[in-house]
Amino acid sequence: MSVILCATRGGEASIRTQQRAIELAKEREAKLVFIFVADVSFMDHFTKPRVPGMEAEMEHLGEFLLLMAKERAEKAGVEADFTVRTGDFKPALIDAAKEVEATLIVLGRPADANVTTLEYLENTLSPALKEATGSEVMVV
Amino acid sequence: MRGTFWRYGLALFCLVAAIWLWLPDPAPASGQDGDGNESLPALVGFLQNPQGQPIAVAELTLLFDEEDTSVATVESREDGLWEIALPRLPEHSVEIEIEHPHYAMDPIKLNEEQVLSLKQGESLNLGDVEMGYRYALGFWVAAITFVFVLLVIAFERMPNATAALFGVAVVFAVTSFGGNLISEDLHVFDFERALTYINWEVIFLVMGMMIVVSVIEATGLFQWLAFQAYRWSRGQPTTLVIVLVIITTLASALLDNVTTMLLMVPITLEIAIALNLPPTSLLIPEIMASNIGGISTLIGTPTNILIGAYAEISFNDFLINQTIGVILALVVMTLYVLWHYRNVYNKGEKGISPTLYAKLEENAKIKNVKVLRKSLLVFVLTIVVFAIGEGLHMVPAVTALLAATVMLVWVETDVQKMLSLVDWTTLVFFMALFMLVGSIQEVGLISTIAGFMGDVVGSNLYAGVFVIVLGVGFLSFSIANIPLAASMLPVVEYLSGNISGAAGNKILYYGLSMGAAMGGNGFLIGGETNLMTAGVAERAGYPLSFGKFAKVSVPVTILTLLVGSLWLLFRFEVLGG
Repeated sequence: MSVILCATRGGEASIRTQQRAIELAKEREAKLVFIFVADVSFMDHFTKPRVPGMEAEMEHLGEFLLLMAKERAEKAGVEADFTVRTGDFKPALIDAAKEVEATLIVLGRPADANVTTLEYLENTLSPALKEATGSEVMVV
Repeated sequence: MRGTFWRYGLALFCLVAAIWLWLPDPAPASGQDGDGNESLPALVGFLQNPQGQPIAVAELTLLFDEEDTSVATVESREDGLWEIALPRLPEHSVEIEIEHPHYAMDPIKLNEEQVLSLKQGESLNLGDVEMGYRYALGFWVAAITFVFVLLVIAFERMPNATAALFGVAVVFAVTSFGGNLISEDLHVFDFERALTYINWEVIFLVMGMMIVVSVIEATGLFQWLAFQAYRWSRGQPTTLVIVLVIITTLASALLDNVTTMLLMVPITLEIAIALNLPPTSLLIPEIMASNIGGISTLIGTPTNILIGAYAEISFNDFLINQTIGVILALVVMTLYVLWHYRNVYNKGEKGISPTLYAKLEENAKIKNVKVLRKSLLVFVLTIVVFAIGEGLHMVPAVTALLAATVMLVWVETDVQKMLSLVDWTTLVFFMALFMLVGSIQEVGLISTIAGFMGDVVGSNLYAGVFVIVLGVGFLSFSIANIPLAASMLPVVEYLSGNISGAAGNKILYYGLSMGAAMGGNGFLIGGETNLMTAGVAERAGYPLSFGKFAKVSVPVTILTLLVGSLWLLFRFEVLGG
């Protein structure tokens, strides 16, 4: 059974991404794994002792968001699971893709038609993920 | 073995520091500070700037009978007092030359009558001696450096501590190299003088409370409380907002705001998502409650700790004089938020799936009941001692250090972990900031600003309160409120001395406290709490934009600043005190 890894979080744009990943999993009869990366780099400006506490709270938050995504997928009849990682987004995603042996990685488009982010996803991140994992990468 | 050594070592350090802070300043024994010439007279006086503030470390040189050689040299003290014990009597004339890097005046020449009195062995009090500003190069160095550091902090170009240390380093470098090698006019202050500006009471109070709070925050109490808010409200958004505001306010009054929000934001986001509410509709009132709630206690905000230590305002004083104002401001804020989000709250869902409910409950579990019980007991006792400490002549820093010691010995004995949880960066930031603010105080910039504000306000108490609360409040929209409050303290001291109704009751200091904390709600960049919350929300996929925040925060901030000002005037003008 092939595995689709869908990088997601909360918000309307993420729900669209999740829906598209669910459709793809149905089409390909694949297992769907949602991933949330608890990246606390926004805390860089804050002092060090606060970061571990924040990382733990972000992990809980990620689990909660992905549990909702999993419920959504299971309602649609798709076998689903989730994983929460910490650290930088790209290496965390590569590690997870290798671990679950993902055949397809699904990334969501930016919510606010941000051209710079979309360009980064399509022209920089996607090829890098493909090269590092050997998986197909799709920006939906 | 090593852990035990560190544990008891740190506990001992806290105890020694507490005792050191508790001991009164040693007073010189009678006759010890004299030089044995009790029969010879002395000259005394007070040095002050045009705003009537004392001038310290000015060098006074005594000259007799138009000779070039000095008879005696002394330095003015912190309170501006100077005293020259005459080593011998003059023949016919006495002159005192006064030198200071940042102030100037012509030599004081005693008249014939005064010289005669001295010759007859009578000491003379010359009263207040006013020196004018010099505005030398050092003034501009300190002023430009301070403004630069404020901008760097506001635009987040460097961490706060780095920015403040950089500023202090510039001042020292200019003083040491420029002042000694190029021109004396570049002198700002030397290292020894800079150290006198560090308020150790603040440093130790913050450190002690960091240890106490880090134990409590690790127990999961706040996440549990947030979940209880969800349960109590039964998913009813209006009730939920009110309960969350109350919990956040209470937590912020007793802990620092960033800690409170760090613990509350993720679980609040989960609750909002579960109820299908836009998370910002719960997070924005929580941010504002957190910034306002801290005003009511000495330990609620760093600015209150600064103000309390500077103006000797006790835990009880803050509680008695600010709490009702805080409650009124919170009521206004909550009503506005409920009105603003009325359509959003009506659309929320009431129930969630059992799986999500179980996950929420799991994320909000108390992690260590035993530690929670012990730490809460210590914390409650700490608050009680804060409240009664004034009667025991115990400064708050001593209470905080004693509480930290008890926590280390009885509750959380992993000292390495505890040390790693102390926010040393913030302590360094405070020390560097004290010195940096000291540099602009030293060169007379703060006195100049105080003089200008004094001219604007005059002796009108109402104008003084509104200028401080609203002025500081609007500045806090975008300027970090800790450096702002630190630099405003001497200004407030000057204004308090000028306005008859403000001298004894410290109303303007309370105004500074309200302005700095409430103003932090104005813009998203106004406080660390705001930025941290926005960061979490953005990572969760719910960005909190500057505009979205300002739409609610600006009107609320203006309203709460007005409520705060009116409360202070009512408290001190109508109720008296």
